[in-house]
Amino acid sequence: MKKVNNMSDLFERLNDLKVVFFYGQKFIPIIQSIIDFMSETVPLLEDINTSISDSTNKIPKAKDQIDNVTNATELATTEILDTVDLISAEIEKIENELKTIQTKEEERKMVWEQIRVVLNQNSNSAGLIERYETIESISIIIPRLLIVFSKTKNDVNNIALSLQVQDITSQQLASVNHLIESVRQRLASLVMHLDESDIKDIESIQTIIPDTAAFNPDAIYTKSREKQEAADILVNNRLNKTSQDEIDKLFS
Amino acid sequence: MDLKFLVVDDSVTMRRIVINSLRSLGYSNFVEACDGKDALDKLSVDDGINFVITDWNMPVLSGLELVRSIRGDEKHSKLAILMVTTRGVKEDIIEALQAKVNNYVVKPFTPQILKEKIDQIITAS
Repeated sequence: MKKVNNMSDLFERLNDLKVVFFYGQKFIPIIQSIIDFMSETVPLLEDINTSISDSTNKIPKAKDQIDNVTNATELATTEILDTVDLISAEIEKIENELKTIQTKEEERKMVWEQIRVVLNQNSNSAGLIERYETIESISIIIPRLLIVFSKTKNDVNNIALSLQVQDITSQQLASVNHLIESVRQRLASLVMHLDESDIKDIESIQTIIPDTAAFNPDAIYTKSREKQEAADILVNNRLNKTSQDEIDKLFS
Repeated sequence: MDLKFLVVDDSVTMRRIVINSLRSLGYSNFVEACDGKDALDKLSVDDGINFVITDWNMPVLSGLELVRSIRGDEKHSKLAILMVTTRGVKEDIIEALQAKVNNYVVKPFTPQILKEKIDQIITAS
């Protein structure tokens, strides 16, 4: 500190001190309001910290619930596929039975032709023969039934094919899980910055992020053949059948 | 041609749907694997497998890595490989083709598409 040599210096210093007090008086209300603001903000920050910490701790449960949904839909899909297989097997059994009946019907027809020759010799049987032959033959009904069963089998197969949606949605759910995990990590790091004492809790949360994602986040269930056509173009291009222009047009 | 398929997918549902579709096309010889590593294990013990149908996104070893492993292995490098996946962007398809898959099917598929691609591979080989 500079030494005070004379009265003039002393007054200069006192004047400096006066200026300090003058500004100090002006600053005191501002400092007071900052202190008031901080005393109000600190509990608020603690609340935010607690909320974030709570949310962070709940995220693994949310992930588990999504996994449960995936497992449940896979189980349900398996049950549907089991039923579809059973129905298909039953339809096939009926189809085979009908084909056997159809073969026997041909045999029956041949026998009937012989019976008719014998019965034609009896004039009283003419009416009966005519009536018998107007009854719709099984040989006409069976092909119609076979068409119906073939269509039903096709419909049942289409149900099975539609179940590809389960694989696609499970990939979408896995993608959501991955995002949730990323959010949890961000929140966890935020909590760490707000309150060092929470670090232990955060470290105890298991982080599961696969090195190679076992899902496609862009998986989509669509009946559109656009993507398949685009793939076909690229495959054909490898065989030098497609121009680059065609490829660019398809993917644009 | 007598085909024995190795169907590789981590989804039980998809393996079943692929096998059911193959059955509807008249094929009856199948082996299943739940990921790329499992597929390599099955290939190492089963010389009868001559056609691989694989998904791309799988745990442990992906379909793409499986394709690269197969193509890099002298014993299996000539195997027919059909990629059946949800990935339908240009870059992915090109990457799969560069890894030397024989053909590419985008999910969801129909048995007709599967037949078309299998027939194309058989005809080309």
